[in-house]
Amino acid sequence: MTTENAGLAKELGYTNVRAFLEGIPAWIKEGYPVYATNEFVAKGNIVLLDLRADGAAVKGRIPRAVVVPYATLEKRVNDIPRNAPVVLYSDNEEEVMNAYEDLLFDGFKNVSLVPGNYQGWADWEYGVVVDGPIFSNEIRWVRQLGKGEVSVDEFRKATKGELPDVFVIDARTEEEIAEFGIFTNTVNIPLDEIPKRMNDIPKDKRIFVHCSTGARADLAYHELTKNGYDVKFLLLDITDPECDCEIIKPKLDSES
Amino acid sequence: MKKIKLLPFIPIAIMLALMSFGCAKDMSKPTAAAKPAAVEAQKQPDNVYIGSVTGKSNKAKTISITVGKGDAAQPYMLKFDDKTTGLEFAEAGEAAIITWEQRGDDKFATVIKPKLAKLPEGVTEIKVDELYQLIENKAPMTLVDARPPFRYNPSHIPGAINIPVPVLKEKGAAVLPEDKNSLIVFYCQGVT
Repeated sequence: MTTENAGLAKELGYTNVRAFLEGIPAWIKEGYPVYATNEFVAKGNIVLLDLRADGAAVKGRIPRAVVVPYATLEKRVNDIPRNAPVVLYSDNEEEVMNAYEDLLFDGFKNVSLVPGNYQGWADWEYGVVVDGPIFSNEIRWVRQLGKGEVSVDEFRKATKGELPDVFVIDARTEEEIAEFGIFTNTVNIPLDEIPKRMNDIPKDKRIFVHCSTGARADLAYHELTKNGYDVKFLLLDITDPECDCEIIKPKLDSES
Repeated sequence: MKKIKLLPFIPIAIMLALMSFGCAKDMSKPTAAAKPAAVEAQKQPDNVYIGSVTGKSNKAKTISITVGKGDAAQPYMLKFDDKTTGLEFAEAGEAAIITWEQRGDDKFATVIKPKLAKLPEGVTEIKVDELYQLIENKAPMTLVDARPPFRYNPSHIPGAINIPVPVLKEKGAAVLPEDKNSLIVFYCQGVT
């Protein structure tokens, strides 16, 4: 889209058009800061961290912020969900940049800063500030399901046989299933066999697909959607205790 | 803040459609204006898929790639083996050119090449450090994030304004600076 927009600008008569082709990933890789919009800070599904110390947050803070003074960030780092967009602010530019770099170094992929730091927020015309005592510094965040994803709850119901209108496919290889077992009420069709085994998949049912992490299930989701199925996939490491689906061992399935 | 005025639609059609993907991750949005002839003119040989890689599974030895944009987008699944070359270019979100051959019921990828962005004539590339220096020095420029808002909102380069491709197509110069000789830098999710 960079090239497309740059081409448009040239067409419109702009003479000094340049393209930063490496884009955002290269920018972040250098440790340069990225910012969220104020609206996103106000309403996004984010983890918002207030890095200030000494009770500054009691006098005024951004709504929904969790107070994690920079000195304690390292201790709290495992409380921060890895998939959440994490937005940081402080009243000190150097401090917020240090925290940003620490989190990137720690492998966080979605970290950004509040524009203008705390002061920038407070100066923004819609920048509501709350004050008063802070009762919790617990970090809470719930992932919203992406396109095509099935919730773990619904998936579990299907494997328990409680959803008769659902057909569950395990897209892992036969070898993996021989080793780890298969969920109840689930049929094994390895991802690479799905295109030629469409006849084994009922058209009149909803389809749930899973694999070991969700990567193959995602591919199967696209393939089945293309073929007219009503599909959802499970984006979850199935060894995650959250899954908690009954497993049949050893392998038992309906394959020939 | 930028005032956005509605201008009559400015036709720019054909060259757009010929342009490369640039930001593979975000090419799913339909391109409202420039669908027509040019797309078909760029016909591919039958055994080549050019598009955005949507995923690769080393366990299933399978790559999936989406060809085309918007409503016309079609996902395809291909197998690969030890003889497939350029597997490193088949990463989710990358734009790739995959040559394949039919073996039995399966399509096998034989050669995978990255699809590189071609710059329109007269547009020069800017590297990350130079861009950083311009921002640090508060050099006069308009920095434009060309990604859709759902990517811009959580995370963008300081000072960038958000003009996704469809918006620029629709509003043209009304969303760009008045001075046509001023510096404009566009960026997106990158092609690396």
